[in-house]
Amino acid sequence: MISTSDVRQDLVLAHENAWAALSAPGTWWSGAQRIELARTALLAINELEPTPPWVAISTVAGKLPQDLSAPKTAHDCAYRIARHAATLTLDWYQKAVREISELAFVELCGIVCTVATISAFRRAAGLAPLEFSEVKDGEPTQIKPTNIVSATLNWVPVVSPADENAAVVQAFTAVPETNRLIWSMADAQYIPDKEMVDPRWSRGTLSRMQMELIATRVSQQRECFY
Amino acid sequence: MLSWSGSEQGVEVDLSSVQASTGGVAVPFARELLDFATAATELDETVLVEKRNALLKVAGVAATIDAAAVVANFEMMTRLADSTGARMPTEVVAERLGVATAMGVDQAVSRR
Repeated sequence: MISTSDVRQDLVLAHENAWAALSAPGTWWSGAQRIELARTALLAINELEPTPPWVAISTVAGKLPQDLSAPKTAHDCAYRIARHAATLTLDWYQKAVREISELAFVELCGIVCTVATISAFRRAAGLAPLEFSEVKDGEPTQIKPTNIVSATLNWVPVVSPADENAAVVQAFTAVPETNRLIWSMADAQYIPDKEMVDPRWSRGTLSRMQMELIATRVSQQRECFY
Repeated sequence: MLSWSGSEQGVEVDLSSVQASTGGVAVPFARELLDFATAATELDETVLVEKRNALLKVAGVAATIDAAAVVANFEMMTRLADSTGARMPTEVVAERLGVATAMGVDQAVSRR
């Protein structure tokens, strides 16, 4: 049996910070919208019989609350990223960002990633799911880096200079707070960024090879072509 | 990354074993780690409990927590990559074709 007190403090802290941020105003979405989108992502992840990728979740009766504060398109995106990420296409992305802005889309991806990773950890470790916090009032900051450019290695825009880092590393840079929260979790869950080049790095539990074995299997299970 | 970390430590990694789920990789608890990772990405709670307990038995609590954290990380990274249209530079794809072939990924039909 694993208990909450067994979990490393750096991991606990990274998860607590990212989870708490779900209910607070973000850069492009309010706290109410962020928590609503997080709930849709969690629904998608946990459904035993998910809605297929070609059906928008907002068109299925009874799946989402009636009084949504985020656009239906955002919920459709959250559901599909959470459950059917391997089916996403450039055409799908371009349709989505005709209705929500590119930067709001990036933040939405970060919301889904946060829900997916924390819920996966809790379930894998046999810990009870976390409850969402109360929504915090306030407006999105709308802080936009001045040097946002198109990328070759991603369909989302990134901070300049583009394509000098790996696609996954630059993917969220156009929304700095999302980028910060996601990578602080990655540091605690996997390997701190500065240790990535060391094939022998370990926390003293799993070796790098054992970690990569798990990483490979999960990526394969999710049919991630990257 | 698996292939690279193995070669850097003088361990030969049979990537087809990852594909075939045989756990034939020469690292400790490979079988239990693969089974745990697989169960954690599926929705059968009974199997997950069984595979978690098997890993706990051979690896202990701290290693099992770290295994769960790596699973969680790649539940995040796969969605990050797919949702942002992440792709490898063409030259990197060419370099890694051997790995893809070993794992059978080159035979997979894209759902895109």
